[in-house]
Amino acid sequence: MKRNWFDWIWHVTGSLPLAPGQSSEEAFGRLGPLFQQSGTTRSRMGDTLTFRKKDQAAQDSMSVFDGGVLQIRDEAAGGVLHYRLTSRALLFCFLAPLLFLAFAQLTIALGRWEKPAAEAARAHKEQKKTVELPQNPIDKALGAPAPDKPKKDGTDLSEGQDKKPSPTSAYVFAAMFAVLYVVGRVLEGRLVRSLLGKKLLGLPDMLATTAAD
Amino acid sequence: MEAVRVGNRLIGAQAPVTVGWENIPRVEGGPIKRFVFTWFQPTMLFALILFWYYAPNSIAKTSTAVGIGIGFKVLLLGLEWVNPRYRSWRLTWKELVTDLFYVGLGYTLVRLVNGYIGSGVMVKAVQHAFDWDKFTWFMGLPLLVQAFLISFIFDFGQYWMHRGMHNWYPLWLPHSVHHYITQLNINKGAVGNPVEIFLIGLGVGGFFDFLPRAALLAGAIGMAVSTYQHINVRFNTPRWWRFVFNTTEHHSVHHSQDFEASRSNYAGTYIFIDRMFGTCIDGEAELLGMEGGRRMSIREQMTYPFTEGWKTLKERFARPAEVMPAE
Repeated sequence: MKRNWFDWIWHVTGSLPLAPGQSSEEAFGRLGPLFQQSGTTRSRMGDTLTFRKKDQAAQDSMSVFDGGVLQIRDEAAGGVLHYRLTSRALLFCFLAPLLFLAFAQLTIALGRWEKPAAEAARAHKEQKKTVELPQNPIDKALGAPAPDKPKKDGTDLSEGQDKKPSPTSAYVFAAMFAVLYVVGRVLEGRLVRSLLGKKLLGLPDMLATTAAD
Repeated sequence: MEAVRVGNRLIGAQAPVTVGWENIPRVEGGPIKRFVFTWFQPTMLFALILFWYYAPNSIAKTSTAVGIGIGFKVLLLGLEWVNPRYRSWRLTWKELVTDLFYVGLGYTLVRLVNGYIGSGVMVKAVQHAFDWDKFTWFMGLPLLVQAFLISFIFDFGQYWMHRGMHNWYPLWLPHSVHHYITQLNINKGAVGNPVEIFLIGLGVGGFFDFLPRAALLAGAIGMAVSTYQHINVRFNTPRWWRFVFNTTEHHSVHHSQDFEASRSNYAGTYIFIDRMFGTCIDGEAELLGMEGGRRMSIREQMTYPFTEGWKTLKERFARPAEVMPAE
Protein backbone atom coordinates (compact mmCIF):
# COMPACT_ATOMS: atom_id res chain seq x y z
CA MET A 1 0.00 0.00 0.00
CA LYS A 2 2.77 2.41 1.04
CA ARG A 3 4.70 1.57 -2.06
CA ASN A 4 1.63 2.20 -4.21
CA TRP A 5 1.24 5.63 -2.67
CA PHE A 6 4.91 6.43 -3.21
CA ASP A 7 4.71 5.22 -6.80
CA TRP A 8 1.68 7.41 -7.46
CA ILE A 9 3.84 10.48 -6.75
CA TRP A 10 5.89 10.04 -9.87
CA HIS A 11 4.13 7.42 -11.97
CA VAL A 12 1.20 8.08 -14.26
CA THR A 13 -0.97 5.12 -15.11
CA GLY A 14 -4.11 4.83 -17.18
CA SER A 15 -5.90 2.98 -19.90
CA LEU A 16 -7.57 3.87 -23.16
CA PRO A 17 -9.91 1.70 -25.26
CA LEU A 18 -8.78 1.14 -28.83
CA ALA A 19 -11.15 1.98 -31.67
CA PRO A 20 -13.39 -0.97 -32.58
CA GLY A 21 -11.49 -3.34 -34.78
CA GLN A 22 -8.13 -1.63 -34.22
CA SER A 23 -5.32 -4.16 -33.93
CA SER A 24 -2.40 -3.77 -31.55
CA GLU A 25 -0.11 -3.60 -34.60
CA GLU A 26 -2.04 -0.63 -35.98
CA ALA A 27 -2.25 1.04 -32.56
CA PHE A 28 1.53 0.80 -31.97
CA GLY A 29 2.08 2.00 -35.53
CA ARG A 30 0.12 5.17 -34.76
CA LEU A 31 1.90 5.71 -31.44
CA GLY A 32 5.29 5.14 -33.08
CA PRO A 33 6.19 8.80 -33.87
CA LEU A 34 5.98 9.64 -30.14
CA PHE A 35 8.99 7.42 -29.55
CA GLN A 36 11.03 8.50 -32.55
CA GLN A 37 12.47 11.50 -30.72
CA SER A 38 16.09 12.25 -29.96
CA GLY A 39 17.23 10.63 -26.73
CA THR A 40 14.43 8.04 -26.84
CA THR A 41 15.02 4.30 -27.08
CA ARG A 42 12.21 1.76 -27.35
CA SER A 43 11.76 -1.95 -27.58
CA ARG A 44 8.69 -3.95 -28.42
CA MET A 45 7.87 -7.48 -27.32
CA GLY A 46 4.53 -8.63 -28.68
CA ASP A 47 1.84 -6.43 -27.20
CA THR A 48 4.19 -4.54 -24.90
CA LEU A 49 6.25 -1.48 -25.74
CA THR A 50 8.92 -0.24 -23.35
CA PHE A 51 10.66 3.10 -23.81
CA ARG A 52 13.39 5.13 -22.13
CA LYS A 53 14.23 8.81 -22.56
CA LYS A 54 17.52 10.52 -21.73
CA ASP A 55 18.19 14.25 -22.04
CA GLN A 56 14.92 14.55 -23.94
CA ALA A 57 14.34 17.87 -25.69
CA ALA A 58 11.93 20.41 -24.22
CA GLN A 59 10.12 20.18 -27.56
CA ASP A 60 9.41 16.44 -27.11
CA SER A 61 5.68 16.20 -26.35
CA MET A 62 6.41 13.44 -23.79
CA SER A 63 9.48 15.16 -22.32
CA VAL A 64 8.07 15.04 -18.78
CA PHE A 65 8.42 11.24 -18.81
CA ASP A 66 11.71 9.36 -18.61
CA GLY A 67 10.41 5.91 -19.36
CA GLY A 68 7.39 3.70 -19.34
CA VAL A 69 5.55 0.62 -20.48
CA LEU A 70 2.57 0.52 -22.85
CA GLN A 71 0.63 -2.68 -23.17
CA ILE A 72 -2.38 -3.61 -25.27
CA ARG A 73 -4.64 -6.24 -23.72
CA ASP A 74 -7.66 -7.92 -25.19
CA GLU A 75 -10.60 -7.38 -22.89
CA ALA A 76 -14.29 -8.17 -23.13
CA ALA A 77 -15.13 -4.83 -24.80
CA GLY A 78 -12.15 -5.02 -27.18
CA GLY A 79 -8.51 -3.96 -27.14
CA VAL A 80 -7.39 -1.62 -24.35
CA LEU A 81 -4.11 0.28 -24.12
CA HIS A 82 -2.70 0.29 -20.59
CA TYR A 83 0.18 2.61 -19.82
CA ARG A 84 2.47 3.20 -16.87
CA LEU A 85 4.85 6.14 -17.22
CA THR A 86 7.65 7.33 -14.96
CA SER A 87 8.45 11.00 -14.42
CA ARG A 88 11.48 12.11 -12.45
CA ALA A 89 10.33 15.71 -12.99
CA LEU A 90 7.21 14.97 -10.92
CA LEU A 91 9.32 13.40 -8.17
CA PHE A 92 11.70 16.34 -8.24
CA CYS A 93 8.82 18.80 -7.94
CA PHE A 94 7.35 16.77 -5.08
CA LEU A 95 10.65 16.92 -3.18
CA ALA A 96 11.52 20.54 -4.08
CA PRO A 97 9.46 22.04 -1.20
CA LEU A 98 11.56 20.04 1.26
CA LEU A 99 14.74 21.42 -0.28
CA PHE A 100 13.49 25.01 0.00
CA LEU A 101 12.33 24.41 3.58
CA ALA A 102 15.88 23.25 4.28
CA PHE A 103 17.18 26.51 2.73
CA ALA A 104 14.82 28.41 5.05
CA GLN A 105 16.23 26.58 8.08
CA LEU A 106 19.77 27.26 6.88
CA THR A 107 18.94 30.97 6.54
CA ILE A 108 17.49 31.05 10.06
CA ALA A 109 20.50 29.21 11.48
CA LEU A 110 22.93 31.61 9.78
CA GLY A 111 20.89 34.56 11.06
CA ARG A 112 21.23 33.28 14.63
CA TRP A 113 24.93 32.68 14.20
CA GLU A 114 25.37 36.20 12.82
CA LYS A 115 23.34 37.95 15.52
CA PRO A 116 26.25 39.18 17.67
CA ALA A 117 28.07 40.56 14.61
CA ALA A 118 24.92 42.32 13.37
CA GLU A 119 24.38 43.95 16.76
CA ALA A 120 27.96 45.20 16.76
CA ALA A 121 27.44 46.63 13.26
CA ARG A 122 24.24 48.37 14.37
CA ALA A 123 26.07 49.95 17.28
CA HIS A 124 28.74 51.16 14.88
CA LYS A 125 26.07 52.51 12.53
CA GLU A 126 24.47 54.55 15.25
CA GLN A 127 27.72 56.42 15.68
CA LYS A 128 27.75 57.37 12.00
CA LYS A 129 26.98 60.95 11.21
CA THR A 130 23.72 61.46 9.34
CA VAL A 131 24.00 63.00 5.89
CA GLU A 132 21.30 65.05 4.25
CA LEU A 133 20.80 63.80 0.68
CA PRO A 134 20.93 66.46 -2.05
CA GLN A 135 18.39 66.99 -4.86
CA ASN A 136 19.36 68.31 -8.26
CA PRO A 137 17.50 71.54 -9.25
CA ILE A 138 16.27 69.85 -12.46
CA ASP A 139 14.55 67.10 -10.44
CA LYS A 140 13.10 69.74 -8.11
CA ALA A 141 11.74 71.71 -11.07
CA LEU A 142 10.22 68.55 -12.60
CA GLY A 143 8.44 67.79 -9.35
CA ALA A 144 10.25 64.65 -8.16
CA PRO A 145 9.81 64.11 -4.40
CA ALA A 146 12.77 65.35 -2.37
CA PRO A 147 14.84 62.65 -0.61
CA ASP A 148 13.79 61.93 2.96
CA LYS A 149 15.45 63.89 5.72
CA PRO A 150 17.97 61.79 7.65
CA LYS A 151 16.41 59.53 10.25
CA LYS A 152 17.62 59.05 13.75
CA ASP A 153 19.61 55.98 12.81
CA GLY A 154 21.13 57.65 9.74
CA THR A 155 20.24 57.33 6.07
CA ASP A 156 22.74 54.71 5.19
CA LEU A 157 23.05 53.51 1.61
CA SER A 158 23.90 50.03 2.72
CA GLU A 159 20.51 49.88 4.40
CA GLY A 160 19.07 46.51 3.69
CA GLN A 161 22.46 44.95 3.14
CA ASP A 162 22.98 44.72 6.88
CA LYS A 163 19.56 43.18 7.38
CA LYS A 164 19.31 39.68 8.75
CA PRO A 165 18.75 37.27 5.88
CA SER A 166 15.05 36.43 5.68
CA PRO A 167 13.73 32.90 5.10
CA THR A 168 10.50 34.26 3.54
CA SER A 169 11.52 33.71 -0.08
CA ALA A 170 12.48 30.10 0.68
CA TYR A 171 9.02 29.53 2.21
CA VAL A 172 7.36 31.16 -0.82
CA PHE A 173 9.23 28.86 -3.22
CA ALA A 174 8.44 25.81 -1.08
CA ALA A 175 4.73 26.69 -1.33
CA MET A 176 5.04 27.39 -5.05
CA PHE A 177 6.53 23.97 -5.76
CA ALA A 178 3.88 22.28 -3.63
CA VAL A 179 1.16 23.93 -5.74
CA LEU A 180 3.05 23.22 -8.96
CA TYR A 181 3.32 19.57 -8.00
CA VAL A 182 -0.45 19.20 -7.59
CA VAL A 183 -1.04 21.06 -10.87
CA GLY A 184 1.56 18.98 -12.70
CA ARG A 185 0.37 15.65 -11.33
CA VAL A 186 -3.16 16.34 -12.59
CA LEU A 187 -2.27 18.24 -15.77
CA GLU A 188 0.43 15.90 -17.10
CA GLY A 189 -1.80 12.87 -16.48
CA ARG A 190 -4.57 14.47 -18.52
CA LEU A 191 -2.27 15.76 -21.24
CA VAL A 192 -0.64 12.39 -21.86
CA ARG A 193 -4.03 10.69 -21.90
CA SER A 194 -5.31 13.16 -24.47
CA LEU A 195 -2.07 12.84 -26.48
CA LEU A 196 -2.21 9.03 -26.60
CA GLY A 197 -5.95 9.14 -27.39
CA LYS A 198 -5.44 11.51 -30.31
CA LYS A 199 -2.55 9.47 -31.66
CA LEU A 200 -4.63 6.28 -31.51
CA LEU A 201 -7.38 8.01 -33.49
CA GLY A 202 -4.83 9.31 -35.96
CA LEU A 203 -5.55 12.97 -35.10
CA PRO A 204 -2.75 15.55 -35.38
CA ASP A 205 -0.88 16.21 -32.16
CA MET A 206 -1.45 19.84 -31.22
CA LEU A 207 1.19 19.64 -28.52
CA ALA A 208 3.95 18.46 -30.79
CA THR A 209 6.27 21.29 -31.60
CA THR A 210 9.14 21.18 -33.96
CA ALA A 211 11.62 23.82 -34.88
CA ALA A 212 10.29 23.67 -38.42
CA ASP A 213 6.83 24.92 -37.40
CA MET B 1 23.66 25.47 -44.91
CA GLU B 2 23.92 28.98 -46.32
CA ALA B 3 25.99 31.25 -44.13
CA VAL B 4 25.85 35.05 -44.11
CA ARG B 5 28.96 37.16 -43.83
CA VAL B 6 28.78 39.75 -41.02
CA GLY B 7 32.05 41.68 -40.89
CA ASN B 8 34.78 39.06 -40.77
CA ARG B 9 32.48 36.33 -39.58
CA LEU B 10 30.37 33.70 -41.28
CA ILE B 11 27.09 33.38 -39.41
CA GLY B 12 24.78 30.41 -39.79
CA ALA B 13 27.22 27.83 -41.17
CA GLN B 14 26.29 25.25 -38.50
CA ALA B 15 22.68 26.10 -37.66
CA PRO B 16 20.08 28.43 -39.19
CA VAL B 17 20.29 32.07 -38.12
CA THR B 18 18.22 34.87 -39.65
CA VAL B 19 20.45 37.90 -40.17
CA GLY B 20 19.09 41.42 -40.72
CA TRP B 21 15.92 43.05 -39.39
CA GLU B 22 14.28 43.03 -42.82
CA ASN B 23 14.17 39.22 -42.71
CA ILE B 24 12.46 38.93 -39.32
CA PRO B 25 8.71 38.15 -39.32
CA ARG B 26 6.25 40.77 -38.08
CA VAL B 27 3.40 40.38 -35.58
CA GLU B 28 0.40 38.80 -37.26
CA GLY B 29 -3.22 39.58 -36.39
CA GLY B 30 -5.64 42.48 -36.12
CA PRO B 31 -4.74 46.16 -35.68
CA ILE B 32 -5.15 46.07 -31.88
CA LYS B 33 -2.82 43.08 -31.49
CA ARG B 34 -0.25 44.66 -33.79
CA PHE B 35 -0.50 47.97 -31.91
CA VAL B 36 -0.07 46.31 -28.51
CA PHE B 37 2.91 44.20 -29.57
CA THR B 38 4.58 47.19 -31.22
CA TRP B 39 4.29 49.64 -28.33
CA PHE B 40 4.27 47.35 -25.28
CA GLN B 41 8.01 47.53 -24.58
CA PRO B 42 8.49 51.34 -24.83
CA THR B 43 5.23 52.00 -22.95
CA MET B 44 6.25 49.78 -20.05
CA LEU B 45 9.72 51.34 -19.90
CA PHE B 46 8.43 54.93 -19.83
CA ALA B 47 5.61 54.06 -17.42
CA LEU B 48 8.10 52.50 -15.00
CA ILE B 49 10.49 55.46 -15.29
CA LEU B 50 7.63 57.88 -14.57
CA PHE B 51 6.46 55.76 -11.64
CA TRP B 52 9.86 55.61 -9.97
CA TYR B 53 10.57 59.27 -10.71
CA TYR B 54 7.39 60.56 -9.09
CA ALA B 55 6.41 57.88 -6.53
CA PRO B 56 6.27 59.28 -2.97
CA ASN B 57 9.14 58.23 -0.73
CA SER B 58 6.82 55.99 1.26
CA ILE B 59 6.22 53.88 -1.90
CA ALA B 60 9.63 54.16 -3.58
CA LYS B 61 11.13 51.21 -1.71
CA THR B 62 12.89 47.98 -2.61
CA SER B 63 9.87 45.93 -1.54
CA THR B 64 7.72 47.78 -4.12
CA ALA B 65 10.36 47.03 -6.77
CA VAL B 66 10.28 43.32 -5.88
CA GLY B 67 6.47 43.30 -6.11
CA ILE B 68 6.50 45.09 -9.48
CA GLY B 69 9.19 42.71 -10.74
CA ILE B 70 7.08 39.65 -9.89
CA GLY B 71 3.92 41.20 -11.37
CA PHE B 72 5.80 42.15 -14.53
CA LYS B 73 7.04 38.58 -15.01
CA VAL B 74 3.53 37.17 -14.55
CA LEU B 75 2.26 39.65 -17.17
CA LEU B 76 5.02 38.58 -19.57
CA LEU B 77 4.14 34.91 -19.01
CA GLY B 78 0.64 35.86 -20.18
CA LEU B 79 2.06 37.56 -23.28
CA GLU B 80 4.06 34.40 -24.06
CA TRP B 81 0.77 32.53 -24.04
CA VAL B 82 -1.04 35.07 -26.25
CA ASN B 83 1.60 35.77 -28.85
CA PRO B 84 4.46 33.26 -28.87
CA ARG B 85 7.44 33.81 -31.14
CA TYR B 86 7.87 30.10 -31.82
CA ARG B 87 5.66 27.13 -30.97
CA SER B 88 8.83 25.16 -30.32
CA TRP B 89 9.58 27.52 -27.42
CA ARG B 90 6.16 26.99 -25.81
CA LEU B 91 6.48 26.82 -22.02
CA THR B 92 5.59 23.40 -20.64
CA TRP B 93 4.97 22.42 -17.02
CA LYS B 94 8.36 20.72 -16.83
CA GLU B 95 10.18 23.75 -18.25
CA LEU B 96 8.33 26.07 -15.85
CA VAL B 97 9.26 23.92 -12.85
CA THR B 98 12.88 23.68 -13.97
CA ASP B 99 13.13 27.43 -14.59
CA LEU B 100 11.51 28.27 -11.25
CA PHE B 101 13.94 25.98 -9.45
CA TYR B 102 16.81 28.14 -10.70
CA VAL B 103 14.90 31.35 -9.89
CA GLY B 104 14.37 29.92 -6.40
CA LEU B 105 18.08 29.18 -6.01
CA GLY B 106 18.81 32.79 -6.96
CA TYR B 107 16.42 34.11 -4.31
CA THR B 108 17.68 31.81 -1.55
CA LEU B 109 21.02 30.02 -1.69
CA VAL B 110 22.84 32.33 -4.11
CA ARG B 111 21.55 35.40 -2.24
CA LEU B 112 22.82 33.92 0.99
CA VAL B 113 26.29 33.35 -0.47
CA ASN B 114 26.22 36.81 -2.08
CA GLY B 115 25.71 38.28 1.37
CA TYR B 116 29.19 37.09 2.30
CA ILE B 117 31.27 37.31 -0.85
CA GLY B 118 29.10 39.09 -3.44
CA SER B 119 29.44 42.44 -5.15
CA GLY B 120 27.80 44.37 -2.29
CA VAL B 121 30.55 43.22 0.03
CA MET B 122 33.23 44.07 -2.52
CA VAL B 123 31.83 47.57 -3.08
CA LYS B 124 31.78 48.15 0.67
CA ALA B 125 35.37 46.94 0.98
CA VAL B 126 36.55 49.22 -1.83
CA GLN B 127 34.59 52.17 -0.46
CA HIS B 128 36.13 51.50 2.92
CA ALA B 129 39.65 51.35 1.51
CA PHE B 130 39.56 54.67 -0.34
CA ASP B 131 38.36 58.14 0.40
CA TRP B 132 35.32 58.10 -1.82
CA ASP B 133 33.83 61.17 -0.19
CA LYS B 134 35.30 63.08 -3.11
CA PHE B 135 32.63 61.47 -5.27
CA THR B 136 29.59 62.57 -3.30
CA TRP B 137 28.95 65.05 -6.15
CA PHE B 138 27.48 62.03 -8.00
CA MET B 139 24.42 62.24 -5.74
CA GLY B 140 23.86 65.82 -6.87
CA LEU B 141 23.42 64.82 -10.54
CA PRO B 142 19.91 64.65 -12.04
CA LEU B 143 18.19 61.40 -11.07
CA LEU B 144 17.92 60.05 -14.60
CA VAL B 145 21.61 60.72 -15.27
CA GLN B 146 22.52 58.85 -12.09
CA ALA B 147 20.17 56.00 -13.03
CA PHE B 148 21.60 55.72 -16.55
CA LEU B 149 25.18 55.78 -15.27
CA ILE B 150 24.49 53.12 -12.65
CA SER B 151 22.87 50.79 -15.19
CA PHE B 152 25.45 51.55 -17.87
CA ILE B 153 28.44 50.92 -15.57
CA PHE B 154 26.79 47.68 -14.43
CA ASP B 155 26.07 46.56 -17.98
CA PHE B 156 29.54 47.54 -19.18
CA GLY B 157 31.04 45.32 -16.47
CA GLN B 158 28.60 42.57 -17.29
CA TYR B 159 29.48 42.81 -21.00
CA TRP B 160 33.14 42.10 -20.29
CA MET B 161 32.37 39.40 -17.74
CA HIS B 162 30.06 37.71 -20.26
CA ARG B 163 32.54 38.12 -23.11
CA GLY B 164 35.21 36.72 -20.82
CA MET B 165 33.02 33.72 -20.15
CA HIS B 166 32.90 32.98 -23.87
CA ASN B 167 36.64 33.40 -24.32
CA TRP B 168 38.33 31.99 -21.23
CA TYR B 169 37.84 28.32 -20.46
CA PRO B 170 37.65 28.53 -16.62
CA LEU B 171 34.85 31.10 -16.94
CA TRP B 172 33.23 29.27 -19.86
CA LEU B 173 32.81 26.11 -17.78
CA PRO B 174 30.20 27.55 -15.36
CA HIS B 175 28.54 29.61 -18.13
CA SER B 176 28.38 26.80 -20.68
CA VAL B 177 25.46 25.05 -18.98
CA HIS B 178 23.25 28.11 -19.48
CA HIS B 179 23.76 27.60 -23.23
CA TYR B 180 22.10 24.19 -23.12
CA ILE B 181 18.64 25.80 -22.98
CA THR B 182 16.73 25.12 -26.20
CA GLN B 183 14.01 27.72 -25.81
CA LEU B 184 13.70 31.22 -24.42
CA ASN B 185 11.11 31.90 -21.72
CA ILE B 186 11.09 34.71 -19.21
CA ASN B 187 12.66 32.73 -16.39
CA LYS B 188 15.36 31.13 -18.57
CA GLY B 189 17.78 33.89 -17.62
CA ALA B 190 18.06 32.24 -14.21
CA VAL B 191 18.93 28.81 -15.62
CA GLY B 192 22.55 27.97 -15.03
CA ASN B 193 25.09 26.68 -12.58
CA PRO B 194 24.94 28.62 -9.28
CA VAL B 195 28.62 29.51 -9.71
CA GLU B 196 27.73 31.32 -12.92
CA ILE B 197 24.68 32.97 -11.41
CA PHE B 198 27.01 34.26 -8.72
CA LEU B 199 29.67 35.40 -11.22
CA ILE B 200 27.23 37.22 -13.51
CA GLY B 201 25.83 39.01 -10.46
CA LEU B 202 29.29 40.31 -9.61
CA GLY B 203 28.86 43.33 -11.88
CA VAL B 204 29.16 46.52 -9.99
CA GLY B 205 26.74 49.41 -10.37
CA GLY B 206 29.38 51.91 -9.38
CA PHE B 207 31.46 52.70 -6.36
CA PHE B 208 29.89 56.13 -6.08
CA ASP B 209 27.26 56.93 -3.54
CA PHE B 210 23.94 57.43 -5.27
CA LEU B 211 20.42 58.37 -4.29
CA PRO B 212 18.26 55.37 -3.38
CA ARG B 213 15.66 56.52 -5.92
CA ALA B 214 18.33 56.51 -8.67
CA ALA B 215 19.18 52.89 -7.85
CA LEU B 216 15.50 51.97 -8.05
CA LEU B 217 15.22 53.76 -11.41
CA ALA B 218 18.31 51.92 -12.68
CA GLY B 219 16.79 48.63 -11.56
CA ALA B 220 13.53 49.46 -13.33
CA ILE B 221 15.37 50.32 -16.58
CA GLY B 222 17.30 47.05 -16.35
CA MET B 223 14.13 45.09 -15.67
CA ALA B 224 12.09 46.76 -18.44
CA VAL B 225 14.80 46.02 -21.01
CA SER B 226 16.86 43.00 -20.09
CA THR B 227 13.90 40.79 -19.11
CA TYR B 228 13.06 40.61 -22.83
CA GLN B 229 16.34 38.81 -23.53
CA HIS B 230 14.70 35.53 -22.61
CA ILE B 231 11.10 35.73 -23.75
CA ASN B 232 9.00 33.81 -26.23
CA VAL B 233 7.00 36.75 -27.55
CA ARG B 234 6.87 38.16 -31.08
CA PHE B 235 7.19 41.96 -30.88
CA ASN B 236 7.47 44.54 -33.64
CA THR B 237 10.33 46.11 -31.73
CA PRO B 238 10.76 49.76 -32.77
CA ARG B 239 13.88 50.50 -34.78
CA TRP B 240 15.36 52.91 -32.20
CA TRP B 241 14.77 50.40 -29.39
CA ARG B 242 16.64 47.56 -31.07
CA PHE B 243 19.49 49.94 -31.96
CA VAL B 244 19.97 50.95 -28.34
CA PHE B 245 18.68 48.02 -26.30
CA ASN B 246 19.20 44.28 -26.24
CA THR B 247 16.19 42.31 -27.50
CA THR B 248 15.00 38.72 -27.56
CA GLU B 249 16.07 38.65 -31.22
CA HIS B 250 19.65 39.57 -30.33
CA HIS B 251 19.72 37.11 -27.47
CA SER B 252 18.33 34.24 -29.54
CA VAL B 253 21.28 34.73 -31.90
CA HIS B 254 23.56 34.56 -28.87
CA HIS B 255 21.96 31.22 -27.88
CA SER B 256 21.99 29.82 -31.41
CA GLN B 257 23.40 26.35 -32.09
CA ASP B 258 25.70 28.13 -34.55
CA PHE B 259 29.02 28.60 -32.75
CA GLU B 260 30.04 31.82 -34.51
CA ALA B 261 26.61 33.40 -33.90
CA SER B 262 26.76 32.53 -30.21
CA ARG B 263 29.88 34.68 -29.86
CA SER B 264 27.87 37.89 -30.19
CA ASN B 265 25.44 40.18 -28.34
CA TYR B 266 27.03 39.93 -24.90
CA ALA B 267 25.46 43.01 -23.26
CA GLY B 268 22.46 42.53 -21.00
CA THR B 269 20.69 45.87 -21.43
CA TYR B 270 22.54 48.18 -23.84
CA ILE B 271 23.25 46.45 -27.15
CA PHE B 272 25.12 49.58 -28.26
CA ILE B 273 28.01 48.32 -26.10
CA ASP B 274 28.21 45.36 -28.51
CA ARG B 275 27.99 47.80 -31.43
CA MET B 276 30.91 49.77 -29.90
CA PHE B 277 33.10 46.68 -29.70
CA GLY B 278 32.00 45.01 -32.96
CA THR B 279 30.26 42.01 -31.42
CA CYS B 280 26.64 42.88 -32.35
CA ILE B 281 24.68 40.75 -34.80
CA ASP B 282 21.16 41.92 -35.63
CA GLY B 283 18.97 38.91 -36.32
CA GLU B 284 17.24 35.98 -34.66
CA ALA B 285 17.45 32.19 -34.33
CA GLU B 286 15.01 29.45 -33.38
CA LEU B 287 17.31 26.43 -33.01
CA LEU B 288 19.11 27.02 -29.74
CA GLY B 289 21.43 25.06 -27.51
CA MET B 290 24.59 23.00 -27.58
CA GLU B 291 25.44 19.53 -28.87
CA GLY B 292 22.61 19.67 -31.39
CA GLY B 293 20.05 20.80 -28.81
CA ARG B 294 20.64 18.19 -26.09
CA ARG B 295 18.70 19.14 -22.96
CA MET B 296 20.83 19.13 -19.85
CA SER B 297 19.21 17.85 -16.65
CA ILE B 298 19.37 19.88 -13.43
CA ARG B 299 21.75 17.34 -11.92
CA GLU B 300 24.17 17.64 -14.84
CA GLN B 301 23.90 21.45 -14.80
CA MET B 302 25.01 21.38 -11.17
CA THR B 303 28.00 19.11 -11.70
CA TYR B 304 29.08 19.71 -15.32
CA PRO B 305 31.51 22.62 -14.74
CA PHE B 306 33.35 20.60 -12.10
CA THR B 307 33.36 17.24 -13.89
CA GLU B 308 34.40 18.84 -17.19
CA GLY B 309 37.04 20.93 -15.45
CA TRP B 310 38.42 17.85 -13.72
CA LYS B 311 38.47 15.94 -17.01
CA THR B 312 40.38 18.75 -18.71
CA LEU B 313 42.86 19.02 -15.85
CA LYS B 314 43.47 15.29 -15.93
CA GLU B 315 44.05 15.38 -19.68
CA ARG B 316 46.43 18.31 -19.40
CA PHE B 317 48.48 17.11 -16.45
CA ALA B 318 48.22 13.37 -16.90
CA ARG B 319 51.55 11.60 -16.98
CA PRO B 320 52.26 10.15 -20.37
CA ALA B 321 51.73 6.41 -20.32
CA GLU B 322 55.00 4.73 -19.44
CA VAL B 323 56.38 2.71 -22.27
CA MET B 324 57.88 -0.52 -21.11
CA PRO B 325 61.14 -1.23 -22.87
CA ALA B 326 61.01 -4.30 -24.98
CA GLU B 327 62.81 -7.12 -23.32
